[in-house]
Amino acid sequence: MKQPYVLILILVVSIGLFAYSLQRLEIQRGKFIVKNSMGYVLPSKITGPASLEFKGIVSDFLFLKMSTFFGGKLIDKEIFEDTHILYIYDAMKILTNLDPWFWDAYLFASMTLAWDFQRVDLANELLIKAMKHRKNDFKPGYYLGFNYFYFLKDNEKGSKFLMEASKLPGAPVYLASLAARLSMYENQYKPAIIFLSDILKTTQQPELKKQYEKRLKTLIIMEKLEEKVNGFQRKYGTFPEHLNDLIQRGIIEAIPEDPYGGQFILLENKRVYTTSKMVYVKKKNKS
Amino acid sequence: MWHRLFALAVLTYKEGVRDRALFGIGLFSLVLMIGSFLVVSMFMRELNKVTVDINLSAIAFAGLLLTFFVSINLMAKDMDRRTIYLVMSKPFSRAQYIWGKYLGIMLLILVALGILTLCSTLTIWFTKSQYTIYFKGFSWLEFYKAVYAQILMLGLLNAWVVFYSTITTSSFITFLFSISTYVAGQTIEEVVLFLKTEQATGMVMDQSINTLIHVVQYILPNLSVFDLKIQSAHAIVIPWDYLLTITGYSVTYTIVLLVLASIIFKRRELR
Repeated sequence: MKQPYVLILILVVSIGLFAYSLQRLEIQRGKFIVKNSMGYVLPSKITGPASLEFKGIVSDFLFLKMSTFFGGKLIDKEIFEDTHILYIYDAMKILTNLDPWFWDAYLFASMTLAWDFQRVDLANELLIKAMKHRKNDFKPGYYLGFNYFYFLKDNEKGSKFLMEASKLPGAPVYLASLAARLSMYENQYKPAIIFLSDILKTTQQPELKKQYEKRLKTLIIMEKLEEKVNGFQRKYGTFPEHLNDLIQRGIIEAIPEDPYGGQFILLENKRVYTTSKMVYVKKKNKS
Repeated sequence: MWHRLFALAVLTYKEGVRDRALFGIGLFSLVLMIGSFLVVSMFMRELNKVTVDINLSAIAFAGLLLTFFVSINLMAKDMDRRTIYLVMSKPFSRAQYIWGKYLGIMLLILVALGILTLCSTLTIWFTKSQYTIYFKGFSWLEFYKAVYAQILMLGLLNAWVVFYSTITTSSFITFLFSISTYVAGQTIEEVVLFLKTEQATGMVMDQSINTLIHVVQYILPNLSVFDLKIQSAHAIVIPWDYLLTITGYSVTYTIVLLVLASIIFKRRELR
């Protein structure tokens, strides 16, 4: 056989082998990433100096990597596990050491830690760090105030942070009055609705946007159901025992579906809540 | 004297422009800048920060590639190809040769970074026009201040390149020394700060190491002072007196290095 034909034959065979190995690699790498993509982050003592003068872009890359990972989990409606808490907290601490003004990182961490993991303490710790660096930004104080009010039921601190935030440039006009009237909203979903609507207005990332929209939708349903419960009480002088009582008295036609897959219930304190706790109800078993 | 320096600088610049690596570096940076437009859409809201981060990093990276691959080559070429004898036969002093080479390299870097800054400006302008509401916290002035600081950093780093090329006989060694100086210069501040905090928390350190770090921190260039990318990305106002201070630092340090390089080069035996 002439030499050029031999070379062409070798080329064709090697392309075929390469295509096969590429396919294998894709499968194996996919498995590898699922198994190994989480669990540890390099400490700031290493990432800081190792990033040289590219700390900004490194922080962007780390943030993108983490937010797409969580975004993927959200799309797959996978349940978050406890190991994620430490990971997200550590990663965000490192990220914000690289770029202490990176608001997206603070916001993502505080939203995920407070809403999905109920770790308001960690969320608040990061928000306090944000306040320290973003001195002229009302947002860290605003979110901190909300967390104190909504999750920790501490109106005094919540009001204090909101009031401080309302004095900073760019703060929404309603913030000062919200801070003043916070106690009036005790045990209501309204501030959470205002808060989430605000976040939605400026959120760009599609997965997160969908997540916030779902949460907002759930909160609006719960607020409306609570209004109906209170209407029931005003009309009949007593609170309903179950949400079904509202249907029986013709106040509502049906109990709406929980976007998270749970069921709306009436708690003993006559507040409407959901069995999903606004996190996806587990559908997959851990392998 | 000045026209000789200028002639040598222009010659070095022309030689540099002929280097094909220059186009590769330029193309890579342009792709990165244009790519930033696609990448930003994946972020939540600080699109201005991400755009500036990517663009400034592309400029910085291009500057570093130019320094490590084009500048070193420009310095070594005369020695390697023995064209140094031809240059030295002209009415130049050896000191003028060093300064002329440095000015030529800096001219090349200024032109290259100028073009990249222009491309960056267009990329940011376009991204800004697409995502106007996410660019409220953006400042052109702070962006250009960061570019200016980057040029100062490259000015200083290239002075080290020139210096190393006068004391070494191989361009590879110059490359190793230069890259080490860059890494050390970028990290020295953090190392010193870290050691200070460790000492504050009661960690006992060997006195000789302590003295060594103390001395080294003044000898090595503190290149992190020129890194204003994060501040620029968040439109944090960089005071003019800070810019003046780092300008003074870069210029004086460069002069010292070039004078030292001139002295060494004068005494060097060319073989």
